[in-house]
Amino acid sequence: MADDKQKTSAKRGARAPSGAARSRHSWKHSLRSWLGSHRDSARQAFDRLRHNPLSSAMTIMVMTIVLALPMGLAVLIGQVERLGVDWQRAAQLSVYLQDVKGEAADSLLERVIALDQVADAQLLDAEQALAEFKQYSGMGDALDQLAYNPLPAVIVVTPVSIEGGASTLEPLRDRLAALEGVDQVQIDLLWIERLTRILALLERFTGGLAVLLVLALLLVMINTIRLAIESRRDEIVVIKLVGGTDAFVRRPFLYIGVLYGLLAGLLAWVLLAIGMGWLNSAVREVATLYQSDFELAGMPAVDGLTLVAGAMLLGLVGAWLAVGRHIADIQPE
Amino acid sequence: MIRFEQVSKRYSNGHMGLDNLSFHIKVGEMVFITGHSGAGKSTLLKLIMCMERPSSGQVHVGGQNLRELSGDDIPHLRRQVGVVFQNHQLLFDRTVFDNVALPLIINGTPSAEVGRRVRAALDKVGLLSKENLYPIALSGGEQQRVGVARAVVHKPALLLADEPTGNLDPALSAEIMSLFEDFNRVGVTVIIASHDLPLIATLDHRMLTLDQGRLLRDGE
Repeated sequence: MADDKQKTSAKRGARAPSGAARSRHSWKHSLRSWLGSHRDSARQAFDRLRHNPLSSAMTIMVMTIVLALPMGLAVLIGQVERLGVDWQRAAQLSVYLQDVKGEAADSLLERVIALDQVADAQLLDAEQALAEFKQYSGMGDALDQLAYNPLPAVIVVTPVSIEGGASTLEPLRDRLAALEGVDQVQIDLLWIERLTRILALLERFTGGLAVLLVLALLLVMINTIRLAIESRRDEIVVIKLVGGTDAFVRRPFLYIGVLYGLLAGLLAWVLLAIGMGWLNSAVREVATLYQSDFELAGMPAVDGLTLVAGAMLLGLVGAWLAVGRHIADIQPE
Repeated sequence: MIRFEQVSKRYSNGHMGLDNLSFHIKVGEMVFITGHSGAGKSTLLKLIMCMERPSSGQVHVGGQNLRELSGDDIPHLRRQVGVVFQNHQLLFDRTVFDNVALPLIINGTPSAEVGRRVRAALDKVGLLSKENLYPIALSGGEQQRVGVARAVVHKPALLLADEPTGNLDPALSAEIMSLFEDFNRVGVTVIIASHDLPLIATLDHRMLTLDQGRLLRDGE
């Protein structure tokens, strides 16, 4: 006993003089036993899940759905947003001409190109404009019925920069509109701006939803771990009686939380990957109608990994919140 | 090894668990604590284990004043003590081996060493052949012996037992007691709370008799 006592007090910082070799040995020993204890805790957590397959599976499924919902929305919004950015980059100004033709139109085109904010400009005369419209509008037959061409000639202007959205193009539009022979200038950007705003709104909605669902996830986790602790009350008492620390008792439960998070995260990833693939065929069909080759990029690996890591962290935090006071409260009587 | 100095324990309901109790147990002694139920036997053991704190007075265990022990130190104290309970306190979802291994796992014994020492302890109590069984498959006497194996597997210098023969017939009780005597013979300090006076009378050890929390008699 006296010898044991000395060892304990040395461990607790009284620092009895000891040889370097011995302290290195005990340091290694402590590390090894600490790692061993973690390995045991992880294995216990795994066994625990395996022994209650049904309730574990239900918990994991609830967590999966709760994770997949906001993550799926976020990924979708992110991809549509990227589409919006692509369109912005391709933003153009349509300069509709009055009844200007031939050389007059060409000289107008040169003057447009000379403007310093213009990167490129192309002239579509009335016939070309009609041909293009027929091709893309799907109203070719109706147009053939017309006796005359209702479309004006157009100069399609690609601006140097569209950073900052539609408003930065307004000075250019004004200058173009002031040119002689120009009827009207249209910035094909406004609806993209509206889309961006709507996406921002959806993003905020998803953010709020995510906060609520994360909260729900934590509650599910806390409840699950509390039940696990309650069902092992006797064991905790015995472990404490034979000298187990709170940390020792706590560890398997924290691993259970992390394990639930890991499995739910992976499952949510799979669910989203399948879901995206399933949505994609429909999205492609819609995109084709708009002459776009847009498609969903699937579930990006980075997002998937973030999802899994986040889920594990949430599992850990939930378990930590559940064990905190609860385990300290369980004392042998 | 154990020193009580004017120790009193008053419970929140006003009941006096111990009343101004003083005694000293030396290293290597084997001592019985007897008395009617409610005389304070369990309270005394709980104070040594730091499961309860005294209302007044000092408890020293192995030269350590328990009053100076913080909550974080309690597990370290308990690792130096082996305890046998009347109701065994075994874990029924673990094998005999895993039950006995628990104190070693907790103090971080290397796994090769764990197997060796668990088997040595089981051999000592005569249950080596049952290491892979679950406690439910054992008789009451065997369960108690598993409890004893768990209490000694980490070679504690102090062994406490609270009514270790409470539910056993006289033959099994004598068997358990002779196990305790074996441990005492190799230098372990043993303290046994028991009201099994006929059995204690056959054994030649010091006996502390408690009555309503006070020390009534201290002798052979």
